[in-house]
Amino acid sequence: MPASVLFNSFAFLIFLPIFLLFYWATRGRVRLWVMLLSSIVFYAWWDWRFVFLLLFSSVVDYSLGILLENQQNDATRKRLIVLSVAVNLGLLGFFKYFNFFADSAARISQSLGLHVSYNALKIVLPVGISFYVFKTMSYTIDVYRRAEKAERDLLKFTTFVVFFPELVAGPIVRASRMIPQLKHDHSFDYERMVSGLTLIMAGYVRKVAIADSIAPLVDVRFAHPEAHSTLSLLLGVYLYAFQIYCDFSGYSNIAIGLARVLGFDFGVNFDRPYFSRGFSEFWTRWHISLSSWLRDYLYVSLGGNRGGAWRTYRNLMLTMLLGGLWHGANWTFVAWGALHGGYLVAQRWIGPWYQRAIRAVRVPALVSHAFLVLLVFHLTCFAWIFFRSPSFSVAWQVLSGITHVHGSLLDIDNRWRILKCVLLIAALCAIEAATFLPKRRKAVIAVEPGEQVTVSAHAPQFSTAQRLAFCAACAWVLLLFGTFSGINFIYFQF
Amino acid sequence: MRDARKALLWLATLLFVVMAGDRLLSWMLARVLVRSQFRYSQLYRGGTNADILIMGDSRGVNSFYAPAIEELTGKKAFNLSYNSMSPVVAEALLLDYLDRNRPPKMVIFEPTCVMVDGAVLTELRPFATLSPRLMALYQERHPDAARMEKIFHLLLLNTGFFVDALHYMRQSDQDWIMRGSLPETSEPEGKRVVPFLPGNREALQRIVTALRRRGVEVRFVIAPYYAKGIENLPQLIAGLPLDDHVRVATYDTVFHDPALFADHVHLNEKGSREFLAMLRRDGVLALPGEGMGGQRPRL
Repeated sequence: MPASVLFNSFAFLIFLPIFLLFYWATRGRVRLWVMLLSSIVFYAWWDWRFVFLLLFSSVVDYSLGILLENQQNDATRKRLIVLSVAVNLGLLGFFKYFNFFADSAARISQSLGLHVSYNALKIVLPVGISFYVFKTMSYTIDVYRRAEKAERDLLKFTTFVVFFPELVAGPIVRASRMIPQLKHDHSFDYERMVSGLTLIMAGYVRKVAIADSIAPLVDVRFAHPEAHSTLSLLLGVYLYAFQIYCDFSGYSNIAIGLARVLGFDFGVNFDRPYFSRGFSEFWTRWHISLSSWLRDYLYVSLGGNRGGAWRTYRNLMLTMLLGGLWHGANWTFVAWGALHGGYLVAQRWIGPWYQRAIRAVRVPALVSHAFLVLLVFHLTCFAWIFFRSPSFSVAWQVLSGITHVHGSLLDIDNRWRILKCVLLIAALCAIEAATFLPKRRKAVIAVEPGEQVTVSAHAPQFSTAQRLAFCAACAWVLLLFGTFSGINFIYFQF
Repeated sequence: MRDARKALLWLATLLFVVMAGDRLLSWMLARVLVRSQFRYSQLYRGGTNADILIMGDSRGVNSFYAPAIEELTGKKAFNLSYNSMSPVVAEALLLDYLDRNRPPKMVIFEPTCVMVDGAVLTELRPFATLSPRLMALYQERHPDAARMEKIFHLLLLNTGFFVDALHYMRQSDQDWIMRGSLPETSEPEGKRVVPFLPGNREALQRIVTALRRRGVEVRFVIAPYYAKGIENLPQLIAGLPLDDHVRVATYDTVFHDPALFADHVHLNEKGSREFLAMLRRDGVLALPGEGMGGQRPRL
């Protein structure tokens, strides 16, 4: 992977102050140009050639948005939206899935006795393509549905697409949220700066201190599962659950915090998902910007829960299968999506029976909630095995190592380094649990226009002194436990 | 403008609090570090006063199990080896050891560590504040990191060794050894090549000179591999600073049982015990002046 201006890179430490200087020194359209050009530099640092792809995607959807709004003929509008979806999915399909589908087709042909020769193309996956394609696609679909007005200012539209905090790994901030915020200048605000910085520090702790400390412990277990005991493999799976959570929510926190400092509101992308008591709740807490995208543009388009139970199950399965494939060109991701689809279907099926049983035997609510949280967490961990494994054979090896009990606690190397990670995770869980208490510091955040969802605010309304203490504590944790080897963000690859 | 002033004041206060906490926490944690029973904490605390000192990389750790040496010889043994310990790093540690502890009667050096580059140096940085030698080496190899660590002292403690030191607060780490074993069906690897990395030959020479000046017996002992031997053994031996007093004993192909190895490069505890018993029989563990019943050590 070529050098990139990642949030945890030294280059970003140089890039950010320069950007902030120009950002706060300018106003109006000049500031938009600063945002656009800085974002292009941010992206070009990785590979300048793909800037043209990014700009192409922006210009195509900008133009199609205007044509869709101007056009009154339904048939032509349909053709335009099909063109937009085709261009966007075509880009994604070629860069992300060409080799995957070609390879899969060749394997199927071989299994049918047909010998098809296939040479894999050396296609570089443009960073962030899955994110910006979804952004632009949702924009044209909204314009098509007449839920959104077309943006006629190319500068504003392109800035919306390429804005660097969310460009390479989300959150997927939709046009309906972002473009209105680009229509006026944001003056410097002390409260926003402090709360934004608090989120950024919390994000760095999650990424640099927790996720990156866990990474080598997980890598070694998934690289050679056969060399690890049952307990060691189980530990690897649990640790991965927190690695991916801290990695991605850390990135989201940094992106959302940066945007807040600049005066923008990106919403919430993770809301303590491992406290979920069901999978439908899990998907309203995990990668909220993606799950709400899949709900609004895929699940609803497929018919949603209209049309009876079986159609709902089918739509859930299809949505999650495609959601799995979105994460990467590998059947293991599809398996992960299938498992989550299965969980959602099973929940709809079994959920009412479970509730009746709980009421009948009068299980205390706290016990029932704790059981459900543990159940959901463990089933999520099971699905993570497929998500993390590079192939099905590795996933089976991990599962086989876990189910065929062998080895002992003594077989686990680096026990005290593992304990360090466990303590950091415990501290994170304690903080999340404390802010998870009901009716405590709740904030109403508009997820999408017309939809009000109450979620606990990630940065509760603490005083600036409390925030200062929190930021200082984060800095000490980073200095003492941070991993500064520049490990990539996991979602960077998607 | 008022908001910008408030923000600047808040940031300045944050910086002050972070720096003050950094100094206070690093000072407190450094005190904890030297109280540990971790091998390098013991080294820098002083008073270890071992009779037999072991130096080497991970092969030094897993071949020379200090508790077994003490059982066999009745002498105090102390293993200073660590994974990826090069002679260059070992030199700094050994000289620091001699500054703070009574010189040992004998140093056993596992010399195949001449092929490692001393990556352990980054792990050793919590002790760099106690050792100008380590600090100089660290600054030479990692100048950017060393500059940052001058600003933020907590960064010096941000290593696995610090966590290990916390673990070994109440018990010594000298019984740390790999205990697993290769599968029964494992075959020995082909001949291994052990090249000298730059600087390691000269460091070995300086180590031997410093030890001999203090009257310390030095023995090079090549521990077993689960392999068909060392391809460049003559060149390896020729590169060691040997003379009438400093000898080398080669045991690279003495074991053929996979049960004695944790992997193809390292003995496990069982293997180490058998190996040390063999060294005892061969007189390699005998201190200078100790009677061997007329037998000369196999060196």
